[in-house]
Parts: sequence; C-alpha cells; structure tokens
Amino acid sequence: MAQSNQAAEKTKVQKKLCFVTIGATASFDALISAVLTPEFFDALREANYTHLLVQYGKEGQLIFNKYMSQRAEQLSARNNIVVQGFGFNKNGLAQEMRSAKGNKGETEGVVISHAGSGSILDALRIAVPLIVVPNPSLLNNHQIELAEELASMGYVVHGKLANLRAAITESEELRRRQKVWPPVNSGEDPSGRGIAGVMDDEMGFVD
Amino acid sequence: MPLVHELKAAILVGILLFVVASLRLLYILPSVRKTCPAPRKRGAPTRLLIVLGSGGHTAEMFAILSKLDTASYTHRSYVVSEGDNFSAQKAIEFEDHLSARLTKLEARSPSQSPSARPPEQKNRQAPGKSPSLNYDITIIPRARRIHQSLWSTPISAVKCLLACFSVLRSPSWTALNSADKEMVAAKATYTYPDLVLTNGPGTAVCVVLACLLLKCVGARGTQNKLRTIYVESWARVRGLSLSGKILVRLVDRFLVQWEALKGVGGGRGEYLGVLV
Repeated sequence: MAQSNQAAEKTKVQKKLCFVTIGATASFDALISAVLTPEFFDALREANYTHLLVQYGKEGQLIFNKYMSQRAEQLSARNNIVVQGFGFNKNGLAQEMRSAKGNKGETEGVVISHAGSGSILDALRIAVPLIVVPNPSLLNNHQIELAEELASMGYVVHGKLANLRAAITESEELRRRQKVWPPVNSGEDPSGRGIAGVMDDEMGFVD
Repeated sequence: MPLVHELKAAILVGILLFVVASLRLLYILPSVRKTCPAPRKRGAPTRLLIVLGSGGHTAEMFAILSKLDTASYTHRSYVVSEGDNFSAQKAIEFEDHLSARLTKLEARSPSQSPSARPPEQKNRQAPGKSPSLNYDITIIPRARRIHQSLWSTPISAVKCLLACFSVLRSPSWTALNSADKEMVAAKATYTYPDLVLTNGPGTAVCVVLACLLLKCVGARGTQNKLRTIYVESWARVRGLSLSGKILVRLVDRFLVQWEALKGVGGGRGEYLGVLV
C-alpha cells in the first residue's frame, strides 16, 4: 500500500514541460497572453504538465511580466505549474526543445511554436510533439500554409489562439502516433540521393 | 550634316550592341539552352559557394548540407548579408562539425594512405580554429536595406553587385597569412566557384545576376564553372518567394520541396521531395 502510494507520488512529480517559443524575428504578444490564462493552465494540469517555459522574444519581457502580475491571483490558484520565461537564446533553442522532449526520468512534453520554418524544423528533428500557432497579425504571411500542410500530413497540430486547450488535447493524440521526420521520399528523384545527386550532376562527377 | 550621320551611326551601333547582347544572354540562359557540365574526376579541388540568408534560410541551408561530402567539395565559400551576425556563426559551427566528422572517419580507417587523401585533409585545421584554408566567409552589403529611400537604392545595388563580383572571383583569404606556402597554392587553385548553391535570400538574386553577367561577357576562367542551383524554401508550400520568381528561369537547376510547386516556371521546378 505504502509502496503504491510512493509510486503514485513519483509519477505525479515527474517533470513534464510545455515549451512556448515565439522565435527571434517578430513579436507575438497574443500567444504569450494566450498561454498565461487560467484556462490554459487547467488544460496543462489535466494533461499532467508540471512546467511551463516561455521564450517571449527580445522585447517580450514587459508583456510577460504584465500578464504574470495581472493574473497572479488566478494563476497562483493553479500554482502546481512552475512558470519561467526568457527572451532569446543566441545559440538556438534546441536545448529547450530537448528538455520539452524530456530528459531521463521526465515525461515527454510539448512545444508550442510560432509558424517560423526554422523552429518547426528543429522540433520535427527532435521528434517532440509540436503545436504550430500562426501569428494572425502576419496573416498574409505564407508560413500559415506550412502549418496547414504539415498538420494535414499529421506531423504537427495546427493550434489556434482562441482554443489552445483543444490543441493540448490534440497534441496528446499526436504523441501516440508521432511520425518520423523527414517523410519517406515522395518526389521524383532518379538518383535517390536528393540534393547531393543534383550537385554532383552539375559538377559533372561521373561515377 | 556630318553630325546627323554620326548620330545615325551611333544609334545603329547601339542597336547592334543591344541585339548582340540579347542574343548572347539568350544563348547562355539555362532555361533557353540547357548545357551539360563537362565531366570531372571526384576529389579534384572544387569551390562551392553557399549563399546564406536570415534565420530560417540559414537553418534550412545547413539542414540541406548536413551530409555534404567534403572530399568532393573541397573549399566552401559562405556569403552572408551585412547585419546578419547569426549566419556567420552558424557557418563556423557547421565547418567545425564537418571537420569533427572527418576526424572520426579517419580514426575508423587509419589504413588509408596519405597520398590517396583528397587535398582538403592535408591542410585541415583543428576544430574551432577559423580561419581555415577549407572555407571562407564574406559579408556583402545589402542591395536594399529595409526602409532605405528609393533614390539611393541604385547606388547600394551597384555596391552589392561589385561585392558579388569580388566574392565570386576568389575566396577571401584576408584573415590568413599570405606568406604561407599552402596559402599560395590555395590561392592559385581556387578561383571562380564551380557551383553556387542558394535557397532564396535577397542576396541570392545579386549573386546569380553577377554569375550571369560574368558568363555573358565570357570572363576568363569562368568556363565550366559558376553553375547555379536554387532550392526554394521549405516554407514555400503553394507559391514561390520573390527571389524564386526572379530566379526560376535564370539558374541551372531549380528545386522545390512541395509537390504543388512541381514544374513551376514553365516546367523548371524539380521536386525531389523534402530536402531539409
């Protein structure tokens, strides 16, 4: 009896991280705001998350602090989630993504990312479940196409700002059938060697 | 009276020059007349020029190059836009990774005779030690900065084009000791790049135009060199980027990464699947 309680205790405290990233180029206050809501915290708690890490961009600290203090009471009522934030990591965010993937003794979490191709690619390579949230203030941006296409192929969850709770639920589903990136080659590649074949062609290497 | 004659003659010459230039351009354009590269042996010194862009472009480029065979592409030149600190750093990290991979390979097959090794391995440097003879990084000014006034754009565009010519002519060895013997040999070996690879930052347009101009005038030493490959960004799912639209008929090979773009630019877009 005592032992099973201990085991339950153990699984309960196993770290599970949700990493939110808005990238380095544009600000995305709406996403920072959307993840610092009681509703979103509830969704995280339901899915057994313990940590929330927000990369808020070079100028996002004020926004982050503002929401944290504004909603301090509501959020602290759900204080079993540890919230941290930082501006940007010059060396890339691969390390944060890996910690969302989970180190030894931790549970695999999720990455919530803006629709930047660099961030998406990083997450796909690490094979951590990914929710892509296109920035509505950049609606003419072609990157929304990338999010839609990848979602329809079943590689990512296309998250919407108004309903991130649903995205968290979907990402648990995505985790169960996580596909490996890159996809099996579906193009017409006679050499089967991708870019290396084309480069060798153009160089005139014959062997 | 003679002035009119001279004027007429000048106009005629002008028209003639224009026609000749246009015909020449048509003759060299890859989309009009496809040429086959001359065969060459693997392991000969080759120079690969890689145009890097901002965050996303650069990340994609190094994903594309992750399996690059350094024995076939012995010298790499990276072109970085002014004001982009991130890409140059990424290039150095990538070269360190290549050189670490080579060391691992050597450790696995120590029986390989030194004479059979490609030239790169002989003058390899310790990781993290840039500059190296195996690669160089050049920063070139932007053709047009964001919010730059329109009247000054032609001046900055010309500056950018001149910088492109200079980076094409030879690698920038400035950071190296020019008295070094290997250095002198490398200087003689590497001139115009054999291959130019880009995935679509604004700078790419300048570099490819510079290549075309050099080929158009038939600059000495450009024969069988300056072949261009453009890889449209993975982020472009249903339509080409501006650089892609400009360059689709001007490069030797135009690769796309989504099926919807297959055959764009009058059948030029090749779809080999995802390359990143």
